[in-house]
Amino acid sequence: MKISSIRYLVHQGFKGIWKNRMMSFASFCIMLVSLLMVGISLLMAININRIIGGIEDKSELVVQIKDGISQRDIDALKDRISALPNVNTIEFYSKEQAWESMVKDMTKEEQDLFHYADDNFLPDTFRITVHDIKDMTLTTTQIGTFENVESTRSPTEFTDVLISIRRILGIISGAIVIALVLVCLIIISNTTRASVFARRKEINIMKYVGAKNSFIRIPFFIEGMVVGLLAAAGALGLTKFAYEGVYNIFNNDFKLWSVLGINNLYSFNDLFWQVTIAYAAAGALIGAIGTSFSTGKHLKV
Amino acid sequence: MVEFKDVSVTYSSGVDALNRVNLKINDGDFAFVVGPSGAGKSTLIKLVLKEIDATAGEVIVNGFNLRKLRRRKVPALRRTIGVVFQDFRLIPTMTVYENVAFVLRVIDAPAKYIRSRVPYVINLVGLADKAKSYPTELSGGEQQRVALARALVNDPKLIIADEPTGNIDPALSYEIVGLLKGINECGTTILMVTHEHELVRYFGGRIININKGSIAFDEVIGGENEDK
Repeated sequence: MKISSIRYLVHQGFKGIWKNRMMSFASFCIMLVSLLMVGISLLMAININRIIGGIEDKSELVVQIKDGISQRDIDALKDRISALPNVNTIEFYSKEQAWESMVKDMTKEEQDLFHYADDNFLPDTFRITVHDIKDMTLTTTQIGTFENVESTRSPTEFTDVLISIRRILGIISGAIVIALVLVCLIIISNTTRASVFARRKEINIMKYVGAKNSFIRIPFFIEGMVVGLLAAAGALGLTKFAYEGVYNIFNNDFKLWSVLGINNLYSFNDLFWQVTIAYAAAGALIGAIGTSFSTGKHLKV
Repeated sequence: MVEFKDVSVTYSSGVDALNRVNLKINDGDFAFVVGPSGAGKSTLIKLVLKEIDATAGEVIVNGFNLRKLRRRKVPALRRTIGVVFQDFRLIPTMTVYENVAFVLRVIDAPAKYIRSRVPYVINLVGLADKAKSYPTELSGGEQQRVALARALVNDPKLIIADEPTGNIDPALSYEIVGLLKGINECGTTILMVTHEHELVRYFGGRIININKGSIAFDEVIGGENEDK
């Protein structure tokens, strides 16, 4: 194809948007709303995942060490635990540290009472975080069998709940996104079909004068792609506006979140490029493919 | 050249549109195709354009054997044919110039050739001053002349005119057929379907009369205009 022809077809694509501006505007609005719905659902899912991940990271496995063993045995036990594949960090917490921390949290009266205790009855402990919370029960059991371990304690019930929540949320958000994408595709293909139907005469004439299908499709393809990209830009602006609003509310007004040990939400800047690329790709693809599919029916002349 | 060899067409509804038709239109011929509604005239044109396929027999158009022609090669066939429709079928959002130039763009003609060829053809049909007008701003006769320019612009071997005078004033009809005759004198084969017997009588030439899917009459008659 000659460069002048390509230039002509691209020009026709842009001209088509203006000539069919009502239909283009309808496609633009539908795509904008569709992209917004899918985008916001995905952003919510990503953030909920992060919050749960944050809670999981803070879940510790506590190992009580037998009283009266040597430092060498403690070091040996630490090495053995560290060697387990699921262990992320391991921190030694001496009985003295535990005592200090306990006393610090007490009221004045309680402190006076404990002042008379002649012995530190608290054990030395290891505080362990794991890579994969799903395997925490297994890791706890493994450590429980090691020599010089008095007992192990891990929030297995709590982590099981978290795992279930995460799984259910994953399924729900996946289903919502799939359903929304399907609905969008159906609506968009119907809108573009209406737009193409309005121009079936034009397509028909092109066929009679010997146009190849690609020649007929390219302007529609470009038209759909440009409208899709415009919708993506609109959706990006609106998402940024809405997201930053919600983000500021959580970060400024609900400081409680971080006290609860929940990680902060992603800021929009963290996700800017991912969101931009995803919107642009989805907008351009849905627009272009939707339009070309709807053109196909009218090409069989 | 158009050749039909024992061509039959039966539609899926069971209607026999053409029945063992044999016909040969040589290069440079001018032929009127006449006959009552439902006789098979439109089917004949659809076959030539490969809009439909023959149920039996062989159709050869400008060297293409349509029975063997693959779908993707249909544009190549259509580029050798110019078509003029009763309802003009111009693109309303394009100017006269664009409607005509469009055919050359479709066949990927060089921009320079388009710039010289299109004004020439528009001038040939007498619409030089309307090149920038839109179809809706033109009369029926003018619109048909644009359609004629469009059919002519890529210098086709064959022009099919499907009732080109059906939607215009009788006086203008003579003008349109006169233009077609002029094009024919330059060597282009013309196949014109019409209902208007007066026009046929006036211009004369080869008359193919189709009735109930068969050729009832295929002869050359003298035109009244020649008698004058």
